[in-house]
Amino acid sequence: MTNTMVLSWVTFLYFGAFVFYLFRLVFGKEFWGKAAFYAVLGGLGAHTLGLMLRWKESYALGIGHAPLSNFYESLIFFAWAVVMLYVIVEWRIKNRSLGVFVLPAAFLLMAFASLASGISDRIQPLIPALQSNWLTSHVVTCFMGYAAFTVAFAVGIMYFLRNIPLFSFIPEAHILDELIYQNTVLGFVFLTLGIMTGSVWAHYAWGAYWSWDPKETWSLITWLIYAVMLHARYVRGWRGKRMAVLAIIGFAAVLFTYLGVNYLPGLHSYLQS
Amino acid sequence: MPKQKNPFWSFFASVYLTITLLVFTVVLSIVGTFIPQQDAARGFAQGIPSGLASFLQTMQAFDLFHSVWFFLLMLLLSLNLIVCSLNRWSLTWKQFRGSPISGEEGLFQGLSPERIFLCDEDVGTVTGRVEGLLNRKYRNISSNQEKEDTVIICGERGRYSRFAVYVVHLSVQLLILGALLGAYWGWEGYVNIGEGETADAIDLKGGKGTKALPFTIRCDKFIVAFYENGVPKTYRSDLTFLKDSKTLYQGPLLVNHPISLEGVRVYQASYGSSPDGRASLAFPRGGKEGKIIKVGPGEIFSLPEKEGTVQIVRLEENLMQMGPAVKILVRSGQGEVSFWIFQHIDKIREMNPGVTEQVPMFNPALFKPYVFVLKGMEERYYTGLQVSRDPGAPLVAAAAVLMMVGLIGTFFSSHRRIWIKIQPAGEKTKISVAARSNKHPVVLDREVRQLTEQIKVSLEKGST
Repeated sequence: MTNTMVLSWVTFLYFGAFVFYLFRLVFGKEFWGKAAFYAVLGGLGAHTLGLMLRWKESYALGIGHAPLSNFYESLIFFAWAVVMLYVIVEWRIKNRSLGVFVLPAAFLLMAFASLASGISDRIQPLIPALQSNWLTSHVVTCFMGYAAFTVAFAVGIMYFLRNIPLFSFIPEAHILDELIYQNTVLGFVFLTLGIMTGSVWAHYAWGAYWSWDPKETWSLITWLIYAVMLHARYVRGWRGKRMAVLAIIGFAAVLFTYLGVNYLPGLHSYLQS
Repeated sequence: MPKQKNPFWSFFASVYLTITLLVFTVVLSIVGTFIPQQDAARGFAQGIPSGLASFLQTMQAFDLFHSVWFFLLMLLLSLNLIVCSLNRWSLTWKQFRGSPISGEEGLFQGLSPERIFLCDEDVGTVTGRVEGLLNRKYRNISSNQEKEDTVIICGERGRYSRFAVYVVHLSVQLLILGALLGAYWGWEGYVNIGEGETADAIDLKGGKGTKALPFTIRCDKFIVAFYENGVPKTYRSDLTFLKDSKTLYQGPLLVNHPISLEGVRVYQASYGSSPDGRASLAFPRGGKEGKIIKVGPGEIFSLPEKEGTVQIVRLEENLMQMGPAVKILVRSGQGEVSFWIFQHIDKIREMNPGVTEQVPMFNPALFKPYVFVLKGMEERYYTGLQVSRDPGAPLVAAAAVLMMVGLIGTFFSSHRRIWIKIQPAGEKTKISVAARSNKHPVVLDREVRQLTEQIKVSLEKGST
């Protein structure tokens, strides 16, 4: 299938971009920074194209649906959202040093989707429970949230590395703090929307807007962790290191919500295929 | 309003309490995903030492999200929110109403150099221009002649965003209330109805008994379609809802499209085929093609010539992955003999040569001179319905909308106030810009920089 071929090229483009960002650090030449950014843009363009091709191919198979319905497709969309957000952040803060930390996340997601055994890259028909208009809005909002939390996590890691001489390129602490905060807020709003759209959908599909299914519960746990983080900042004035720690803890909860709960029994079993 | 002296009040007014309660909720939720809950708990409880199981049972660990612990946490959180909100309300109200002109002391002290600049126009002209500019983006513009020649103009934006956080907290209260309403007056259960059958009660979730429905549901027909790979594509039940033998509603029920009737929602949850379907059997005697009869489990029929009787013992849709099969028991003068008849016996023989000799139980010709043939099995589907009632749902939906509005107001808006002091400085006029915001200092910085630029540009334009 054309789309999976395009998407596997994208994996290499993201890896190339990561390598270029590294070169920029090692050689200190802005040329590599530009090359990296163009690789990211090229990758994102091809990624978007791949997603659209996949969408189109699903219609050609007679089972047309948005490419957001199984584990493979969710990984691909997750990576897309991370890169999309990264491009916006780099463009807004005019600083390329984040690339070294964010691009590996996108690259790993893509590589995992293509290489891990047991992840089918085939376009599969939708079972009746997934045949809903809420599928797209639920998956898109959730993964936009995950992507923002991923960027916040990457900045959190940068926060702890910034005093190591090798990483002297990392921006000042207050810029990192602001980035952690902004991405957390973005992620929180999208996660809230994701939980809400999921609840509305469950209200139509599962007989209750909330069933304490492990994925639901873990999304609430993630939401509460970020709620604690935002309260600590607003009311207690937490900044810097503590926020970085919470961004890392929060991301662990995101990962468990996304991947860990698949090992617990529950209703969200679509991702196991 | 009670004062902070009251220990009860100050306990609930603390944000540490909020954070502690949220952390407890997180911990309880994590435990709730690792200990099987409700229906899943029963099997789990049998597999662990009975002492531990009864301890967990007493601790309500098998239904944590409806336990007294969870209820207490929500109650405390709710109280905490109310007290915190009341505590801060008077301050918020003052800040909301407060005229921006009464800026704090030292507002203009320690301003960064880029916020102070000089221009050639006189105080009056500058005041007019600045007021004009502020009017475009800010509200409640007022000016104040502080001293002779010195004017302070101020304006504000996003005043109402001060209430946004209260909206979020109100929505959390409504959410908890809605969830409680649902937990106490709502119910949820399942019922399987075979084609042509009716049901007027359901089995409640968690083994809490049965519940009579305000109407009777009849399943007229069940239809399922499959994709080529065997995964179900659609399934639907044609249902009739009856009350006092009158039809309330009649129509198809599909996954994702529940039917709502008299405050009760009915969902297409699952389906299956019942073991009490009917099998089409033929039993040629000595190679002669006989008639075909349709029989269900337990039924008995006689063989021709009074050679014996046949009882249908079991019907299997898919016995040992070899397709439909019927187990029969033949009683005759020679005694009893029981064996299986597979629908696809020819194929099974082909795949496993000699199987009917090795396993006589699989030989359809075990009772001579008859050869039993399973022509087909009629599948009788039943539809699996989920039925629920949740009086809290509308409240929860309202809470969700409020929460979104509140979050957007909290995160993406702030109460920004700008003061611009215009005073003569020798031949020139000195302009100082001070600003305060209740949050998002970075956003405020950017805004002040833009405003300062605009003022400079406007004054330069004016002077040429």
